[in-house]
Amino acid sequence: MPNWQDFQPFIVSGLALGGVYSLSGVGMVVLYRTTGVLNLAFGAIGGMGAFIAWSLINNLEWPEVLAYLVCVGFGAVISLAYGRLFGPPLAGRDPLVKAAATLGLALILLGAMSWIWSDKARSMRLPTSRWRYQVGEVLINWTQIIALALGVIVTVATAAFLRRTGLGTAMRALASDREITATLGVPVRRVEAATWLVSGALAGASGLLLSSLVGLDAATLTFLVISSLAATLIARLRSLTVTLVAGLVIGLVNALITPFFDLAPYRNMTPFVLATVALLFLARHQQISFARRYQ
Amino acid sequence: MTPPHPASGRPMTRPLAVLPSWARPVVAPAVLVLVLLAASPLLSSYWVLALTAVTIYSVVALGLGLLVGRVGLVSLGQIAVLALGAWVAARLTFATSLPFEVILLITGMITMVLGTLVGLPALRLSGLYLALITLMLAGAITVVLTNTNFPNGGPGFLGHQELFTGDPPVRRPDIAITDEAYFRYAVVVAALMFALVWWHVRSRPGRAWAAIRQSEPAALAAGVNITTYKLWAWALASFVTGVAGGLLAGSVSKLYTYQFPTIDSILLLAVVLMGGIYSLWGAVVAGALMKLLPALLKYWGAPADLLLILFGVGVLQVLLTAPGGLAQQFPRDMARLGRLLVGLTRRRAPGGEAP
Repeated sequence: MPNWQDFQPFIVSGLALGGVYSLSGVGMVVLYRTTGVLNLAFGAIGGMGAFIAWSLINNLEWPEVLAYLVCVGFGAVISLAYGRLFGPPLAGRDPLVKAAATLGLALILLGAMSWIWSDKARSMRLPTSRWRYQVGEVLINWTQIIALALGVIVTVATAAFLRRTGLGTAMRALASDREITATLGVPVRRVEAATWLVSGALAGASGLLLSSLVGLDAATLTFLVISSLAATLIARLRSLTVTLVAGLVIGLVNALITPFFDLAPYRNMTPFVLATVALLFLARHQQISFARRYQ
Repeated sequence: MTPPHPASGRPMTRPLAVLPSWARPVVAPAVLVLVLLAASPLLSSYWVLALTAVTIYSVVALGLGLLVGRVGLVSLGQIAVLALGAWVAARLTFATSLPFEVILLITGMITMVLGTLVGLPALRLSGLYLALITLMLAGAITVVLTNTNFPNGGPGFLGHQELFTGDPPVRRPDIAITDEAYFRYAVVVAALMFALVWWHVRSRPGRAWAAIRQSEPAALAAGVNITTYKLWAWALASFVTGVAGGLLAGSVSKLYTYQFPTIDSILLLAVVLMGGIYSLWGAVVAGALMKLLPALLKYWGAPADLLLILFGVGVLQVLLTAPGGLAQQFPRDMARLGRLLVGLTRRRAPGGEAP
């Protein structure tokens, strides 16, 4: 049995990663509730943004801050473009079809990333990772703090935004019923566009943080979306608070298993197992004959 | 008496009309199988291996196409099922000296049981949630397989040994030791799997699945046992995927986890949608897209990443404009092109020059 000392560094790294899972999870849930699209290209969008930022810094020698803004902006723009192009024609289709279409975007982005940036291994280190200090025995850097803080802040801010503002109310109305909302005179397309934009910016920010916390690799960044997806599934694609908690728990459990040598190789199963157990628990009263569609 | 063509008024030429009705759907697949069997000695080893992979992945696509197209269940974990099948088949060939056909059959059965056990709770969900939970389960299976590795003749239940030079390869059937013979063997097994699924689709289960896909309440009202038939489809898909896994184990001889990456599950859904989910031909097209296109690109020296972009565009195109996929679109476009050409020549024929 490992002692308390062994766990401390993993608490920090787990919470940081969990914060990013929550951040992207919230971006995905808000988009899903408003537009009905579960964006499976979330990780690919962020990854592409991170690669572009890397190129701007290392090839064109842009100032770092500007490059990071471009990364977030890229996420917002590509997500908005996809939403404007493919949102309306698919609006009336099954959520499954909409999600499968975003897989198309993910494949395009992944292909482009591996094609353009596959020549050598790269690494991205946010300057905040250099500012570190010691708490007890553990080294903490600012990227980790930002990741956790951003996850919490974005969740709280989004929840407040949905409650208090006019746009937020329109988004909640869209989540309930698109047709009726349109009848009431809400500019549905504009509200959806705003959601795509914000969700894309969150994708860019998550991609940037992940590329520094985990590594700058096209496939890794694309498929880390599955961990965030697990968090959103535990929240049944509905609750922002549960998404935040689930994201943090997934990150934390995943990291805290590391000191157990027998279990450590299996630690990457954490999001899958937690999501599966949660989903099956939530569906325990369902019958196969009438499996629910959860529109 | 052949019916007149609606446009030209001439009797339509239907070359297959002379055959009895049961034989008509068999002709084209039989021709394809015979051509593949006959062509195998003419191909270089590169193309034999590529076409063997196409054959095997056609069967995998067949399983997923059955779930998506017939019953409306989307699974993003079929590659994990394939890996499971390959693991079971490899373990069986090292543990027993049974003939390869029996091993394939047992592998299919075991994969069917495992797949159904996994599917039983997952089938309580449907639509998007089922797709996502299968993605999660596939991820979990992949992590486990990364740690257990594939059997290579080692001791114990897992049958894997780390330090072993000159791994004994997975045994092939005695009649198909060479790559070329194994290709023919795979084609025959794949044809049997297609026949099995075709038989299901054409008989009672197929009609039940069609009813379920249209509307579950209506199917229930019509007396269809939804639970049984959903599980049946799931079991059948797992069975053919398991057999494909067994074929794959024999084909590559040495199995590694990297042969079953997560992205393949997503690519598989992409090519199945592109190939067409409402026709069994779609599965053949899907297998070719998944394994023949990469071989072609490699042969031409083009970057393989282009394929991902192409598949991404293909998925979007299929979902937006052509739900029937290539299997439906291609013949229709060809027929349209044919009519266009016929129309052009006919207009020019009487006067020599077009007016």
